[in-house]
Amino acid sequence: MGRDKEKEKQRQKRNPSEEVLNLLRSRLCNPNFIFRLFSDSPESNYSKLRFIISSSITEASNNSILLLGPRGSGKVAVLDLVLGDLLQEYPDAISVIKLNGLLHNDDISAFKEIARQLCVEHQLLFSKMASFDDNSQFMIAMLRECGLAHKTIAFVLDEFDLFAQGKQKLLYSLLDAMQSVTSQAVVIGVSCRMDADQLLEKRVRSRFSHRKLLFLPPSKEDIERLLDHLLALPLDSSLPHKYAAEFNGKLKATLADARFKQIIDTYLNSNFTVNHLMRFLFQAVSYMDLESGFLSLENFKTALSSIQRQPKMECIRDCSIAELYLLVCMRRLEVKEQNSYNFHSVMTEYKSIHDSFKTSDYYSRNVCLRAFEHLLQREIIRFTDTRGSSQSIDFRPVKLLISSAELHEGLKSYHSCPAMLLKLMDH
Amino acid sequence: MPTIDCRNSSPLKEIVAVKSERSGGAGGSEGDSTFGKRRLTFDAAAGQDSPTSTPTKLKSLRGCRNSSPNSPLDGSKEDSGKRLPSLCRSPVKRLHDSVDRKQNWNPSDPGQMSAVKEALHVSTAPQTVVCREDEQKRILEFCKTCLEQEKAGSLYVCGCPGTGKSLSMEKVKQQVVDWARDEGLQPPNVITINCASLTNTTEIFSKIADKHQQKKKTSPLQHLRDIYSQKQQSSDSKMMVIIADELDYLITRDRAVLHDLFMLTTFQFSRCILIGIANAIDLADRFLPRLQSLNCKPLVVTFRAYSKDQILRILWERLMELPYIVFQSQALELCARKVAAASGDMRKALSVCRNAVEMLEAEMSKSSSSLSSSVGEATDQQTPPDLEVFKRQQNITVTFQVRIDHMAAALSKTFRSPVVDTIQSLPQHQQIILCSAAKFFRGKKKDTTIEELNKSYVGVCKSAQIPPVGILEFLSMCSVLSDQGLFKLVGQSRDDKLKSVTLKVDGSDITFALQGVRFFRNCLQ
Repeated sequence: MGRDKEKEKQRQKRNPSEEVLNLLRSRLCNPNFIFRLFSDSPESNYSKLRFIISSSITEASNNSILLLGPRGSGKVAVLDLVLGDLLQEYPDAISVIKLNGLLHNDDISAFKEIARQLCVEHQLLFSKMASFDDNSQFMIAMLRECGLAHKTIAFVLDEFDLFAQGKQKLLYSLLDAMQSVTSQAVVIGVSCRMDADQLLEKRVRSRFSHRKLLFLPPSKEDIERLLDHLLALPLDSSLPHKYAAEFNGKLKATLADARFKQIIDTYLNSNFTVNHLMRFLFQAVSYMDLESGFLSLENFKTALSSIQRQPKMECIRDCSIAELYLLVCMRRLEVKEQNSYNFHSVMTEYKSIHDSFKTSDYYSRNVCLRAFEHLLQREIIRFTDTRGSSQSIDFRPVKLLISSAELHEGLKSYHSCPAMLLKLMDH
Repeated sequence: MPTIDCRNSSPLKEIVAVKSERSGGAGGSEGDSTFGKRRLTFDAAAGQDSPTSTPTKLKSLRGCRNSSPNSPLDGSKEDSGKRLPSLCRSPVKRLHDSVDRKQNWNPSDPGQMSAVKEALHVSTAPQTVVCREDEQKRILEFCKTCLEQEKAGSLYVCGCPGTGKSLSMEKVKQQVVDWARDEGLQPPNVITINCASLTNTTEIFSKIADKHQQKKKTSPLQHLRDIYSQKQQSSDSKMMVIIADELDYLITRDRAVLHDLFMLTTFQFSRCILIGIANAIDLADRFLPRLQSLNCKPLVVTFRAYSKDQILRILWERLMELPYIVFQSQALELCARKVAAASGDMRKALSVCRNAVEMLEAEMSKSSSSLSSSVGEATDQQTPPDLEVFKRQQNITVTFQVRIDHMAAALSKTFRSPVVDTIQSLPQHQQIILCSAAKFFRGKKKDTTIEELNKSYVGVCKSAQIPPVGILEFLSMCSVLSDQGLFKLVGQSRDDKLKSVTLKVDGSDITFALQGVRFFRNCLQ
């Protein structure tokens, strides 16, 4: 046992980079850690949400709020953070009921789930045979009891827009119960649709308090702060101090590099939610060189190119010249408004090209047939009559599964593409 | 001459009209002036009685546990009949005096803050329900007539949400029972049913029949029909008042339940008074046409949406019970005007006021800047501040109140849709997609396929010399936009590219949101 520990220690001394890798990866997968950074500023969503829920606890009032934002911007993460902190601060003063619009779409099952969770929280026996009426009476009675005991019930409704379909009975009963003084509850809806409150019926909307918290993607300064927070090593941990300081120095240099900023900008141009950024960072950290133990710019570049793969273009890159000729011929047929073609017509076109342009690559029909079969197997082209027929392969109609832009890009990046092909594509 | 609301002819308004005629143009250049201005001129003209007692002490946190819109009000049993006249005599005068005597509010005191928030909360039902005296009187008269003659009758109460229907019904319920007891008649049974909580629409009959001690043999509806078609044996059977809230949940496709319910009042020996509450004004005409032929259409009482004056009055009534000034009168007037113009929903007004109080709280906790900077801050409001009154009020009241800028910020948070904000904070490529969609759908086209949209997108990217993203990323960006409710993707084709896309936000919203960027401005011209 002792020898194992010593071996472990020796291994760590030789290779602290593994430990660093573990540390960074676990940080990137932990939403609590990520969103803790934004929680100290008073303008942040964390503090606003916390203020509303804690005022409901301390002042014994009812509240309702909607959290809106695109997927992956951290709505549920921040909510969990706030609830966790409040549970620590006021133990036993809050109980959380979670419902999801995908699971509990139906009013009957929603009330059943509420009753079940209330029973679990308060250690009561739950009967599966209880009817809808019983469950709703139970919920109202529990709200009253908790109001008397000064305990707040927080209803978290995930996928709120899915609850707003149909007759909205659940929303109506919940929000109506909040109109009475005897209950002490908070209703928190989480949705990715920006117009979620327009979906509510007018009765329900009138009872809803119209508070919305928008989770907008972070600004550039916030992203820089976030990168620093996530990737910088703590200096007072079990890692050797010199190594950690050197790591942080190199990291700072990399982050300040203009090329790095360009990489981040290109990546975030299409989608800059926090979730998306985390995926990129995870890949980059995984590419970290364990020998040297430092993050470099190359890691980020590799991560970017591996995330932004274009599978169809890679397919084109692996094709032979004969296959490329066939694809270009099919494209030309499409341009000539001949939307259904088969191998026979493609060969005709190929022949006409050869006759008019006098290319040097002329393949025989058998070779072309083999190339055609390869294309079918790789799913770059497909038969249009999917029922399968007894016709031979020559005459069954096919269609292209890649667009002309992708074909064009693929040809341009082909390592030794005959210039003829590009010329053919353009006419 | 201030415009008087002819519809709401409560005693208060009559007195107001008389007084304004006497004092001649009570500052009414802009229609109905604020309470503040009117109060100052009336003081000169009025030679009234001594003011009534000052407001009560602070309520504790759980003080009015029993008061809610759906539970009986206490404190109004004896003087419900007598309260109305005393109200009309001196509310304005009482307002003026109590405002004068009020101390300044200290928002950092948590006790005071919570008292203010509780006074503005929707669930605290006020002691007196103002601005609805007329409607309550009508309902009460109807019930009295039915009870006296021991006849059945039906009444239909309609109005937009947040207009005080359920609240008034609670009051009337109590008044009816008290009146019956006073007159020596048998007090009726009253049951309140919220039709939204019924699993099955026919359950309403079983709930009514339960009160009649049903024998278990027949169905509830049949039982009720039987009872009401025979003369009662016992002479001391009570009348029954049935209040059905959210009546439109009972509407089924064949409208049978609603019909049967109202037909219960048409039987010869029926003893029930049915009062239905809903939002639709023409529910009786649309869904109960046969009743007209039987000449028993329900009486309709409409609760109109609150006007600006009514909202202002209700807010003042609520705030009067607190011994300090919380809001500047301009802020309350701004709130009342905006909410009255939008929907006339009282719950919204209360929620906006609470929001404004919270903004003040946030501001105070953030900084301790003095009030002198507030005059300069008042730039982004709906109504320009009256600088004289503002300065005068500054001299009178020294410390913190909820100002117009707080109220304006709270109003914009409530009434503004987040669409513009969302569009402005989208990443660049998604904005380009939205821009190309807006351009595409400008003509008569209503929907298109993803492939067409992609072509348009590539064209816009080329004109900006930005490299367009590949088709896979384009598809994922379109699905993200449809998740957020900006696009709508329809279609079950296996090939994603053939799904059809519609734009769910207005093109002008997109133009407005993107106008800050020159490229989009040129593109969308």
